[in-house]
Amino acid sequence: MSRQAGRGTESKKMSSELFTLTYGALVTQLCKDYENDEDVNKQLDKMGYNIGVRLIEDFLARSSVGRCHDFRETADVIAKVAFKMYLGITPSITNWSPAGDEFSLILENNPLVDFVELPDNHSSLIYSNLLCGVLRGALEMVQMAVDVKFVQDTLKGDSVTEIRMKFIRRIEDNLPVGEE
Amino acid sequence: MAVCIAVIAKENYPLYIRSVPTENELKFHYTVHTSLDVVDEKISAMGKALVDQRELYLGLLYPTEDYKVYGYVTNSKVKFVMVVDSSNTALRDNEIRSMFRKLHNSYTDIMCNPFYNPGDCIHSRAFDNMVTSMMMQVC
Repeated sequence: MSRQAGRGTESKKMSSELFTLTYGALVTQLCKDYENDEDVNKQLDKMGYNIGVRLIEDFLARSSVGRCHDFRETADVIAKVAFKMYLGITPSITNWSPAGDEFSLILENNPLVDFVELPDNHSSLIYSNLLCGVLRGALEMVQMAVDVKFVQDTLKGDSVTEIRMKFIRRIEDNLPVGEE
Repeated sequence: MAVCIAVIAKENYPLYIRSVPTENELKFHYTVHTSLDVVDEKISAMGKALVDQRELYLGLLYPTEDYKVYGYVTNSKVKFVMVVDSSNTALRDNEIRSMFRKLHNSYTDIMCNPFYNPGDCIHSRAFDNMVTSMMMQVC
């Protein structure tokens, strides 16, 4: 099940400016195409979801992480492996709920928002909402329904960016007969 | 140290202009406006040399009684003009140069903001803060 040669676990270099500007162009285009920010947020989430459901395959193949036994482990993998691999950052995990089904990812710096200043007429735009969609989509493919949302954003004047993730339930697959 | 900082578009209309709050802000606008002729002159005089050496700093454009006017032009012909109090003799050429460099970097960041349309007036908090810090520095 190895991937083609030359595409191992090593991370490839890419100009961060190009990446940031590409995402910026995407968001501003959406802002032009849709009337209000809520629709843009929704659209970003949907696009992220579509990325997530594909990206998880790539992630599992390249990272060779095993099955997670609890949500804490999942959180660790997301922060330390997935974010590192795709965005080159390692968010910290804090604010666990007592029940252990909810936590926050704190991003000290978010590579998507370099250069960005939100104009006043887009105050309800969640600029990096794509990330929420990606996380939701990816986890859904590994039988976890989660709720992901931004609770703090440096673009809105907060000192850090915080993504809140809440575990909702396991998605029970109708497994084929004879499989565990 | 600087009393007025202006960013002028390629087509010579102001993108951004700010001066220390005084009663005759208009005078600074006038000073900057006048300096544009000198900028054009310098650019055409340097002509080829400027392009070859990539020297963006134009140096002292002209001194008036109370102020000195410095200029800087990017390769995309966006001009930065800075008016400095003449009484501030401590200010070296090198410092002016580094201030322009800072201004240029900050301008580049604005250009990279996806919500900024090139050619629009600059309304950026980050840029505002940077300019303010330059005006404060050794005042």
